[in-house]
Amino acid sequence: MTYKYSAYHSCSVQGSDSPGSLSSLKQEGGLYQDKHLDAAIAWQGKLTTHKEELQAKNPFLQNLLSAEGVMSSDGVWRVQAFPSGKDIPSLTRAFPSNPKSLIPPEGSIKVWSDFLHVQLHPKSICIIQKYNHDGEAGRLEGFGQGESLLQEPTYLEELEDRLHFYVEECDYLQGFQVLCDLHDGFSGLGAKATELLQDEYAGRGILTWGLLPGPYTLGEPQKNFYRLFNTALGLVNIAAHSSLVCPLSLGGSLGLRPEPPVTFPHLRYDVTLPYHSSALLATALDTITVPYRLCSSSISMVHLADMLSFSGRKVVTAGASIPFPAAPGHSLPDTLAQFGGTIPCTPLSACGEPSGTRSFAQSVVLRGVDKTRQTSQISPGTSPSSPLHACTSGEEVLAQYLQQLQPGVLSSSQLLLSPCRVVPPYPRFFSSRLNQQGLILDGTHNGTAVETIPVLTTLCSSSLLHRALGRLAGELANLDLRRWASFLAAGVEQDDMEETIQELHNLAQCYKDGDSLIN
Amino acid sequence: MQIQHPTASLIAKVATAQDDITGDGTTSNVLIIGELLKQADLYISEVLGSHTLRSLHSLYLSGRGLSQLDGVSSCLVLHVPESEARADTVEKSKLPEVAWGTFSTDSTVERAWGLHPRIITEGFEAAKVKALEVLEEIKIEKEMTREILLDVARTSLRTKVHAELADVLTEAVVDSLLAIRRPGFPIDLFMVEIMEMKHKSETDTTLIRGLVLDHGARHPDMKKRVEDAFILTCNVSLEYEKTEVNSGFFYKTAEEREKLVKAERQFVEDRVNKIIKLKRKVCDDGNKGFIVLNQKGIDPFSLDVLAKEGIVALRRAKRRNMERLTLACGGIAMNSLDDLTPDCLGHAGLVYEYALGEEKFTFIEKCDNPRSVTLLVKGPNKHTLTQIKDAIRDGLRAVKNALDDHCVVPGAGAVEVAISEALVKHKSNIKGRARLGVQAFADALLIIPKVLAQNSGFDLQETLVKIQAEHAETGRLFGIDLNTGAPILPAESGIWDNYCVKKQLLHSCTVIATNILLVDEIMRAGMSSLKG
Repeated sequence: MTYKYSAYHSCSVQGSDSPGSLSSLKQEGGLYQDKHLDAAIAWQGKLTTHKEELQAKNPFLQNLLSAEGVMSSDGVWRVQAFPSGKDIPSLTRAFPSNPKSLIPPEGSIKVWSDFLHVQLHPKSICIIQKYNHDGEAGRLEGFGQGESLLQEPTYLEELEDRLHFYVEECDYLQGFQVLCDLHDGFSGLGAKATELLQDEYAGRGILTWGLLPGPYTLGEPQKNFYRLFNTALGLVNIAAHSSLVCPLSLGGSLGLRPEPPVTFPHLRYDVTLPYHSSALLATALDTITVPYRLCSSSISMVHLADMLSFSGRKVVTAGASIPFPAAPGHSLPDTLAQFGGTIPCTPLSACGEPSGTRSFAQSVVLRGVDKTRQTSQISPGTSPSSPLHACTSGEEVLAQYLQQLQPGVLSSSQLLLSPCRVVPPYPRFFSSRLNQQGLILDGTHNGTAVETIPVLTTLCSSSLLHRALGRLAGELANLDLRRWASFLAAGVEQDDMEETIQELHNLAQCYKDGDSLIN
Repeated sequence: MQIQHPTASLIAKVATAQDDITGDGTTSNVLIIGELLKQADLYISEVLGSHTLRSLHSLYLSGRGLSQLDGVSSCLVLHVPESEARADTVEKSKLPEVAWGTFSTDSTVERAWGLHPRIITEGFEAAKVKALEVLEEIKIEKEMTREILLDVARTSLRTKVHAELADVLTEAVVDSLLAIRRPGFPIDLFMVEIMEMKHKSETDTTLIRGLVLDHGARHPDMKKRVEDAFILTCNVSLEYEKTEVNSGFFYKTAEEREKLVKAERQFVEDRVNKIIKLKRKVCDDGNKGFIVLNQKGIDPFSLDVLAKEGIVALRRAKRRNMERLTLACGGIAMNSLDDLTPDCLGHAGLVYEYALGEEKFTFIEKCDNPRSVTLLVKGPNKHTLTQIKDAIRDGLRAVKNALDDHCVVPGAGAVEVAISEALVKHKSNIKGRARLGVQAFADALLIIPKVLAQNSGFDLQETLVKIQAEHAETGRLFGIDLNTGAPILPAESGIWDNYCVKKQLLHSCTVIATNILLVDEIMRAGMSSLKG
């Protein structure tokens, strides 16, 4: 689970996690480490030094380290200063010319920190010692367990202190982004955390992203039912306390019955690998959050949330097209006109296919379209083939397109020049039809690695949720919670579950399509 | 705590409960429960388990040099672990010597020999009642002076950290509690903030009569040190907020834009001006300082204006510190700046900022009558800090317990020896086999002086016997001098324990030991029972 607060363009990450999930990542981060042991020895007598071997870093991480800093032979860790500009430190510069060696071996990746190359501030990570990261027993698996964690003064104070450190630094605090798992005990932790945040920082935006694992099987009933309970309790409680909540998953549905995972037309990814699925979700998240992260943008977290969560619709769905299917040489109006009546978006909120539903409000971001290709370059005098071709700026084109597609829907759109960078450690799962800039070629393989891709994302409150939430409530109502005594033992009561079902129905009601009222 | 064994996890739960209630005595808890079970086991398993019997039986029947015992024979009824009962390891010569009972394959043997756990627990219960009576008799009620409290704190802390550090902490802990104590009100330990600073060595841990905040002023022009300062605590946003309405600005010229932005900022500026007005009013002679501590944010513009006026402003004070701030410095925490008066202000003799690496600390010291104080824990590394923090918490609890109880009991194992002896005497008043339970209880309590002696490197039995003899002769409460191993009078050396800790120990240990004894069999340990 990760918190991120953003103050326009300075941002920092805070997380809490169970021990074991960090593997070779040091709790204090590598940046501040002082390994000059020899210099500080004032003891005159005999001296024995005991060294503990660090957990072996996988070759990929070692590569990363050697690319970013210099791990000299005496174990002294020096970091090369990166120019702190607006764009990401140019990774291409830092990486050697042979990118093949930098692709992390997929088998060696076990936890998220294995492909993390950001150096974290020592105050960033707060480890929950009470539960095991994996294994049979002692895992943080129930909503109640997570919720009660933040009622213990030790964790609560530690969290407050760490958060305070960052919050105090903010000149203009916009709000908080909370990323948390919905399927295990972290949903309880997230719900409690958002409650505390809302209480302490009233009026600030709290955007919560509930992450769910992609594939699951019916083989492990306990896990499966726990997932359902946690998801429902988490969604309802988090929605109550945050400005906006959005489930993010590559899975097909929130319910008990597994549905095939979503597909991306130009990607071949393995849904069972967290390395792949997290890369996709991160790409989507990176683009979705653009409106309130940009200096130039006038939209703040609260504004975005207000726009989307109109009349109690606090749950929203996300969608993305990774990469945005554009062919080289085509202008944006051409590309959009090709799509016809639908945006080519893959749904990322595990709520099913969006076809046949309408959205109430949406925020659309498209990034990675060249300045020259944003409008159609028609020679003066010729009449434009469509209204899209008549627009004078890219933003206008996008806004006009959305207007055409769904008239009467409150839309906010953003168009960015800079594409999404996908150099290693980003997994290489792109189809061979993509060129270096992520544009789609006509079936010919050109062999170069993809470095950047254009991405389109949508965040919308759609009537699709009426069905999805209603279905979730229905499945819950059919289950007998008393059969899962261990879940109840962790602090959730039977009445809580009934309330949750009721709340889910209420939430679902908010998304009822206006037309069906008339029918 | 992660404990897999169900029985152990039950004991760990009691220890946790003990810590929650009294803050001390967790180790004693585990020791006594363990010893109670061990003593009870002596009585319960005073017969071989049927499987051991069977293996011995077959051993006998196999007739390896034991044919003289033909068929029904005498055999040992000592506890022999199964592994030792294998034919080749049992020495023949030993067997006939310890022949106590008649051997038979009939299972009635077990009933005839072992004491049923229920009877032991009856004895435990009777012993507990008596023990509490004794404890009531030997507790010493007296005025809780600083000296006594220092003794109590020292006794508690010296078992947790080394002596030099314990002495530093003792004074700090007692003084902090005496500072926040108000006659007629219960003591609120939250009013003693424990603040950690990774700096210097652990003996530099001090008591600050005021507060330490772990952040500093965010403006370079603000003073780093202010003496004789007024403190304004408030919870008012001094941050420019964009309008709630999703409108955006509409303007044609640069001036118009300026005007609109200015109007937007006007709200915040008004608030800042109110603070400045109050500052001018109270500090007109220019010698006094003015500090603003705000729970909400203060943006750079406001900071700038305040800095120009010579006001030091700290933003985003922690919520749990807001209450402490007003208690330490006086004044009222303001939720609105509309009715600011000089009465709302608190006062501190010295406020200064201390930077340590990238972390900043603001010390608010020399408060006139602080009702909230800070223990500033220093130490070279995280481990030391955590250790000291835990020790301080326990020390605070010990002193608080003494203040709440209005009485103390002698430490150094004296109480346990006294109770144990009283129980042995009391044994004859109990009828039936339950008296064995009382005996077991009396023996079990002696684990405390035993462990004390063992941990100081003395002979267990010798030390124990010496104390028991002294106690029996003089009737005074003797304990172990951990430096010499000789008996001492804890009351004279200033070794005091908490009355409520001992009381809680007697209660919880008996209950849990009873519970565990009465369990017939653990069928399956559920996941939820594994949490300590």
